[in-house]
Amino acid sequence: MPVEPILPVIDCDIHPSPSKDLPLEPFIPEDFREALRQGMGSNKSHAYANPFGVTRRDVNCHDPVKVAADHLDRYNIAYGILQPPGMQVSIIHNIDVANAMAVAWNDWQINTWLAADKRYRGSVCCNMNDPPAAAKEIRRAGKHPQMVQISVTTEALNLYGRRNYFPVYEACQEMGLVFCMHVGGEGSYNSSTPIGHPSTYFEWHTGVPVTCMSHLISIVAEGVFEKFPKLNVMFTEGGVGWFPHVMWRMDKNFKALRATTPWLKRLPSEYMIDHVRFTTQPMEETTPENQLNMLTMIHADKTLCFSTDFPHWDFDAPDVILPRKIPPELKKRILYENAAELYRLPSIEQATETLRASQPVAQPM
Amino acid sequence: MTEKSDVSSPDSDPRPMLFNTGYGTENTPLDFAFKIIEEARPPKARSGKRLTVCAAAEIPVGGRRIVTDGPLSIGVFNINGTFYAVRNVCPHYGAPLCQGTIHGTHRPSDVHEFDPGLQGRILRCPWHGWEFDIITGKGCFDEKTKVATYPVETDESGDLVILL
Repeated sequence: MPVEPILPVIDCDIHPSPSKDLPLEPFIPEDFREALRQGMGSNKSHAYANPFGVTRRDVNCHDPVKVAADHLDRYNIAYGILQPPGMQVSIIHNIDVANAMAVAWNDWQINTWLAADKRYRGSVCCNMNDPPAAAKEIRRAGKHPQMVQISVTTEALNLYGRRNYFPVYEACQEMGLVFCMHVGGEGSYNSSTPIGHPSTYFEWHTGVPVTCMSHLISIVAEGVFEKFPKLNVMFTEGGVGWFPHVMWRMDKNFKALRATTPWLKRLPSEYMIDHVRFTTQPMEETTPENQLNMLTMIHADKTLCFSTDFPHWDFDAPDVILPRKIPPELKKRILYENAAELYRLPSIEQATETLRASQPVAQPM
Repeated sequence: MTEKSDVSSPDSDPRPMLFNTGYGTENTPLDFAFKIIEEARPPKARSGKRLTVCAAAEIPVGGRRIVTDGPLSIGVFNINGTFYAVRNVCPHYGAPLCQGTIHGTHRPSDVHEFDPGLQGRILRCPWHGWEFDIITGKGCFDEKTKVATYPVETDESGDLVILL
């Protein structure tokens, strides 16, 4: 029988959570345990509830060994990027507690999930409301060889292009870590739309890409990529259909308004295509023709990286989510190569070999 | 910006990081555009045809006059006593460019720094606000966009003549 081809996958969005067996508490710095007992870990949260719960009914993401078997093995996922709940530490009211919780989440990740399987890659959590402390934590936890990015929510006290965040970008660039903005928390500080509070989780969830757009425009306009030319940023779970609009509108405006941001030496879209990446999930589901056009418009051969959002309700599977008529080369770029280049992971050939060696009876995609 | 990176990662993976590798030129597009503007090379006459405008004294410093010759429309500008001619058609939508406002701009600069300059040389299209340098015709926003410019002479009688 001919050997079925294996197409390795990098999943850029897996959400582990602590459990009875792998609790967070032991990793919380001792000096802050009393503060937490006193309720100083409070955060306002956005309070929009998914009526069906956020996690899939049939799985959880508590056990790294079980997830490796049920999720990584099942889909030929060669590397899975973890997005722990600690991405949200910046919405904790107390600055010092938020800093301590970032340390806790990073040490929890390193000692539980990253230690359990070498296919996992981590996201450094940090408090964006204390950029010098965030930079310090990025330099500490980011040293771990399986840490590939930092992850923060798109809910923020300010637009991420603002220069008070520059110490964070400086640390990311120095450590070779991607700056990943994961949607979430919208409504914790501000209303989740600039107009006001939506009525339902349905509206809230559909509208959160607005914050991605706002941060992207700010990051480009404020010259982050001129100041930190080796920095790459990732938008996770914010969709991609809005990206052409932002590129084209910003390029159009640049012709007349360039002099207001004279540090930009290239069209805004050129910075974006070089430095900005997106994860697929939740991929806009439209007709296959529209999807293929969208992939062209967003320069998916460079910018798009596959993700599942496992174990959440709006999960995408790698064998279903891309249009059937996608060119095979583009499929490889999206499922593996774009993320491998971004996170400097082994080549698709090496990953294929590793998978073949470890899973002699792997199911073809 | 254009150098190749050999940044070492924590796990010393040899793969280079993604970043701008430029366009095969030493300058980024905006640096290139402003190099042309700053060099301010005078335009050359092409057809040998001459178009008389008006007496030089009629256009004060900072002023302009738009002249037509059949379908051709050209603006003549007096910048600090020197005269420059720019085709009155914006390469974007064909708008009457020479009716735009004249001002300065910011040269390409470091992040969060402003380097004002080219005062009195920058023509902003009245329709969409695109900026052009009057002396070179070069657009201030990309590598290629340019509007035609022509040499201007003052003849023996003191009239301005555009050399087409």
